[in-house]
Amino acid sequence: MSPGFESTLADLIVDNMGVGVFVVDPAYNVIRWNRFMHNRSGRSPGEVLGNNLFEMFPELPRSWLTKKFESVYLLKNSAFTSWQNRPYLFRFLHDRPITGGIDYMRQDCTFMPLIEGGEVIGVCVILFDVTQAAMISYEREAALAALSESSRRDGLTDVFNRHYLEERLSEAFNQWTRSGDDFCLLMIDLDHFKQINDEFGHLVGDAVLRIAAVRIGELLPPGSIFGRYGGEEFAAVLPSTLLDDAMEIAREVCRAVTLEPVQCGDSQVKISVSIGAAQTSSAIKQYEMLIKQADGALYLAKSRGRNRAVSAAD
Amino acid sequence: MHEPLLNEDQRDALQEIANIGMGLAGARLATLLGEFIQLSIPSITPVRVDDLPGVLSNFVGNQDRFTVVRQAFTCDVRGEALVLLGDDAVPELWELMGYDPELDARSAASEQEVLIDLSNLITGACLSCMFEQLGRSLTFSPPTLMGRRVSLHNLLRPEAMAWETSLLVEVKFSIENRTFCAHLVMFTGEDSLTTLKSALDELLECM
Repeated sequence: MSPGFESTLADLIVDNMGVGVFVVDPAYNVIRWNRFMHNRSGRSPGEVLGNNLFEMFPELPRSWLTKKFESVYLLKNSAFTSWQNRPYLFRFLHDRPITGGIDYMRQDCTFMPLIEGGEVIGVCVILFDVTQAAMISYEREAALAALSESSRRDGLTDVFNRHYLEERLSEAFNQWTRSGDDFCLLMIDLDHFKQINDEFGHLVGDAVLRIAAVRIGELLPPGSIFGRYGGEEFAAVLPSTLLDDAMEIAREVCRAVTLEPVQCGDSQVKISVSIGAAQTSSAIKQYEMLIKQADGALYLAKSRGRNRAVSAAD
Repeated sequence: MHEPLLNEDQRDALQEIANIGMGLAGARLATLLGEFIQLSIPSITPVRVDDLPGVLSNFVGNQDRFTVVRQAFTCDVRGEALVLLGDDAVPELWELMGYDPELDARSAASEQEVLIDLSNLITGACLSCMFEQLGRSLTFSPPTLMGRRVSLHNLLRPEAMAWETSLLVEVKFSIENRTFCAHLVMFTGEDSLTTLKSALDELLECM
């Protein structure tokens, strides 16, 4: 094979490769621009060759990219960029304009020193279209996020479950031991739930739980952590709240829950809740003690005739 | 008692080329970053996989949580290099690495990027300069992040490793008057130990 043929062969390969290849000289003038780069950028070799890369593509992050190139010249080693940190360098369109749901082609790049006689005479940038791999990774992240969200939810009422509730309560408690920012816990129990189940059946019982959860959830201030503690019992952590304000909220919850009966098919079910409220204080050493205090107050609310809120300080 | 991985001459030779290599690498990194770079005297440690946790503790002291970036290096000797970064000092690195404080949102992704960028520089400079002394030029894989603030002992558990012995070269990288510091640990692949030894023997013959 003649040397001429070999270099033609090399040119053909570089030009037709399914990855972007371009070369800049030490002054950042483009001296090679393959077909992939041409097609994706819409700029032909005729327009680009001999011109400054940063002037042709002002969207490129110049100072950072310059540092990258400098490192290649100085260390004579490759430098790399990954879509995971910087989704793209060039604003290229990708091959999933309809189904992709992302803006530009995700790119991994290798900045390769071209060394002749021990000196770096230029830097060859190889640009890989990794949109497909990135999409799979995005889908995986979304699936993991959905999974982690659903593992926090109660299957019936879709409010947080007990496990997550306790986790957040424990977190809030630890935070309080450091910051002293008082907060309150409400334990909320649906009154006569067993009777509702016996009289109307479990399907109605389930519906009542769901509707009660919605009614309570709507009245809690933003930032509250509200979940189903078990059976017909709910709990709410009210951050940065003092007992008086928590009682105000609790009374409002009691009032709103009873306002209208729950309509289930033909049945009209009257519902009400009893609430016990407790606040962090120096006497409380673990978050479990806070639950115990709120539970004690809830017990009082029940014994005093239900459909009411009682504070642990009473 | 196992046969030592390197004989005394080989070990001295490796220490020597590591010293020279790191010296060169330090100078190149200093030019690039415009700061005085300190690279510790490299420590050469043959290690059996079960001793890995202890050896790593010797390198890094009490600190267990690191951001870890790995990269493969290849010539006729192959292996992987890990850079262990303490990343409380990330803010110092923005300007150093040419990031535009206005444009680069200081997101987790760009924090990772600055750490990965710097790791690539440290690994590339140190290993290339060292292997230059053996007449070899290395190619490197793109760097990948193994974990952000992960426990080293959880990350590199001997029972999860598919090798018995390796040769470690460790060097500590720091920047004068800055708190940032990192450890570079080069692991020689088990299949490359023989090649590395003969390369050292060749070097010794020429001396």
